[in-house]
Amino acid sequence: MEAGETGTRTYLGVPLYRPRVAFFEFSSCEGCQLQILNNESTLLDFLSLVDVVNFREAMTGGSDDYEIAFVEGSITRDDEVKRLKKIRKKAKTLVALGSCACFGGVNQLKNRFKDINKAKKEVYGRHPIDSEPVRTLEDIVKVDLKIYGCPVKKEEVEKIALHIAIGKSIVFPKYPVCMECKRNENICLFELGEPCLGPVTRAGCDSWCPNSRAGCWGCRGPADEPNMEQMKKIMEEYGFSEETIMDRLECFGGFSSLMGKGNTK
Amino acid sequence: MIFRTFEKQELKKLFEILAAHNRIIGPVETGRDRDGRPVYAFADVTDYDDVELKYSITKLPAKRFFLPFKEDLSTFRIENDTWQKEISYNVDRPLIFFGLHPCDINALNKLDKVLLHSVYPMPYYAAKRENMFIVGMDCIPQPYCFCRSMGSDTALHGFDMFITDLGSRYFVEILSNTAFNFLKNIKTSEPGEDDHVLYMKVVAKRNNEFTRHVDTTDLTKILDMEFQSEVWKEWGDKCLSCGTCSSVCPTCYCYGVDETVDIDLKGARKTKMLHSCNLIDFAEVAGGHNFRPGRENRLKYRYYHKHRGFVEAFEESLCVGCGRCGESCLADITVPEVIDSIRGSGRNK
Amino acid sequence: MNPELKFTDVAAELYAPQKRKDDLKGFEYTYRAEITSIYPLTEMETLYRIQVVDPEERRRFAFTPGQFLMLEMPGIGEAPFSISSSPSIHGEVELCIRKVGNLTNFLPRVKRGTHVGIRGPFGTGFPMQNMHGQNVLLIAGGLGLVPLRSPIAYVMENRSHFRDVNIIYGTKNPSQLLFTYQYEIWRKDDIDIEIIVEKADKSWKGPSGLITDPLEDILSGRDSEYYHNTYAIVCGPPVMFKFVCNMLNEFHIPMQKMFVSLERRMHCGMGKCCRCNVGSTYTCLTGPVFDYWTVMNLKEAI
Repeated sequence: MEAGETGTRTYLGVPLYRPRVAFFEFSSCEGCQLQILNNESTLLDFLSLVDVVNFREAMTGGSDDYEIAFVEGSITRDDEVKRLKKIRKKAKTLVALGSCACFGGVNQLKNRFKDINKAKKEVYGRHPIDSEPVRTLEDIVKVDLKIYGCPVKKEEVEKIALHIAIGKSIVFPKYPVCMECKRNENICLFELGEPCLGPVTRAGCDSWCPNSRAGCWGCRGPADEPNMEQMKKIMEEYGFSEETIMDRLECFGGFSSLMGKGNTK
Repeated sequence: MIFRTFEKQELKKLFEILAAHNRIIGPVETGRDRDGRPVYAFADVTDYDDVELKYSITKLPAKRFFLPFKEDLSTFRIENDTWQKEISYNVDRPLIFFGLHPCDINALNKLDKVLLHSVYPMPYYAAKRENMFIVGMDCIPQPYCFCRSMGSDTALHGFDMFITDLGSRYFVEILSNTAFNFLKNIKTSEPGEDDHVLYMKVVAKRNNEFTRHVDTTDLTKILDMEFQSEVWKEWGDKCLSCGTCSSVCPTCYCYGVDETVDIDLKGARKTKMLHSCNLIDFAEVAGGHNFRPGRENRLKYRYYHKHRGFVEAFEESLCVGCGRCGESCLADITVPEVIDSIRGSGRNK
Repeated sequence: MNPELKFTDVAAELYAPQKRKDDLKGFEYTYRAEITSIYPLTEMETLYRIQVVDPEERRRFAFTPGQFLMLEMPGIGEAPFSISSSPSIHGEVELCIRKVGNLTNFLPRVKRGTHVGIRGPFGTGFPMQNMHGQNVLLIAGGLGLVPLRSPIAYVMENRSHFRDVNIIYGTKNPSQLLFTYQYEIWRKDDIDIEIIVEKADKSWKGPSGLITDPLEDILSGRDSEYYHNTYAIVCGPPVMFKFVCNMLNEFHIPMQKMFVSLERRMHCGMGKCCRCNVGSTYTCLTGPVFDYWTVMNLKEAI
């Protein structure tokens, strides 16, 4: 079936929308795209909902005729800026795929260095490359939808494709990870003596890390109206240093807009 | 009520006979906390030695076995642009709960009032509740328990049998004929006067060990009077709105319903998920208006429902005083402290 | 003694056809209903006529004005809607639905003949029979005309049982007025109707201002005999009914004769999910229709 063609498939009598989609990556590990390909049991169903015209990790060739662009990665070079703007022009809808695209991700840690050349020298030695401070997609172009996570949750991407097909709105949990963590009957990480950003991080990952007894690093960014002030107090009460707290909060860049602001409400 | 006593090794025998034919849920140790203290949970048990009968309290109540965090209320087969609805109550066998403390038994009795004995009884709960066999067990009061203030320190009904440790042997109250018949499988004897005396001594000793108390006198009125109190704002500032208190509460039953379509478009489902009144979207309506936008509004409502609304409807509060919420709250919001502060807020003005 | 417990199958009689409030199988039971007409009213609102498919169930499906039902589109969503049609027609309802969520955005796209599920009717209604022999004020703001249309239908069908009947209806701007084609019919049934908009545009010939303006005009010309023998039904956004009820109160309309319909988030309609609680009162069981005395005693109602 061709993209956009709505003749054959319907849901309760309402024609499905099958968009032409393309996947692109910038500075990232491409792990988010890999996630999407990761679950063979539903891959064919997923591909029946969207018409993939460009996906370097999954197919050869590719077309520039797409409606939705899923863009992974952050922007660290000038040529990336140009390429991103080109994608934005072509795409009706631009989706930031994963924490790098949404917040800068792990890449943006280098922005902590006052002198980026020092960092460059440390990492690349005598083979210097072009690398500027990390920017998110939104710093450069308009982003229509953000899919959080490092990596993204495959089920969430599938659900989004399904919702596009049947015309349901795309919503993410507004509450923090703790809710899912308790549903999974995990022992609270603080109880085990581990720091955790679960109380302020947006749920939707099904408490992926705490399920393996690893504290949350906040890869999905803040929940709606997180209580940052109380979070910091709790970290201090449980004996974690300012540095430990900042390491977590700064790791993926999702909390950068809330830094130093304390309460958001 | 019928009473019996039996030797301690007989309990293992009883467990094993029951375990051979039934699914048993009991308290087990699932890990150690950072201070090396054991962490307990209710889980499937097949081996008597895994059952921690001297457990302090489980982090989560046994709620998930009769009020699962997530369950499908119905599923749909989608075919030829129409649908067929199918309903399942998601239970296919009885469950034995081995070693529930009085607080958790009383929590079930409270849930029964709203979920079974009011208009529109909830069949998903009823179907599971109907298939529970409960072996109650006396407990050791913990520093955070305030069950005695809530009248939940002893269970008068809502169990099949209830075991009290007399030190040398067990004392058992028998409430159902099923339990009476089960006990025929082990050696029991009629308690004598010395057993009665010992039982009363054990109970009296336990009653003296409750250290946490909360004054609930006139609480429904006080909650109304102090509705605008500044104290709520202080607690709201601390609250993380994370929902943990509701998740660990043995009596919280509020939920949300979500409809989803299967990715192959051949099915759909209507899923019930336990929610928490502290979560930001609890009272948000389509179109975006939020009837409880602030953390303190939502936290206040939680107390309002448990300690006022439920009392109004059923003559008792929707809190058994197990103390789990306060223990699990990272922001250290505990029921006794909140209630004390509300009682005190008038005096401070 | 056999120590194996016997399983009690509560679901055994699930599909038997009767339904009562204390009936376990009634909880998740949905009437299969067909969308028989789809009529767009404004850019945002559409009127749907929905009929219970099974003739026997259709005969039994009855409601009182003010009650609501839960409408379900499998996989898309389920939500509460006030019934907006005459209570004398059984098994068929009209729902006026604004596009605000998943379900309400999907519905305008379905074809006539599509099957939906309905549960209910739920909640309290307006005590229409108590109003016999009395004056009636029907006051609506914005979407509030939707639940009001059911008592209006009742009043029209039983016009001789009522004394003076006034409809006062206001919206923000003229394009938001609902059921404009019905005003003349209402008037012909000896119902006085005042329409007012907050912001007039060029096409608007009627008065502009707040809904309390025409209300004050109506009330100030009356005597205490009128006030004591008048019922008021008020539907609309919280700010609106706060001002309206305050004014009715000033004119000493008895509190137990003033009724409002509250809107809250609902997931069950049966007093279980707690999402609709106002203070600690279930809007779905004790409401959505409350008399003003009850509303005054509810925390966080207005």
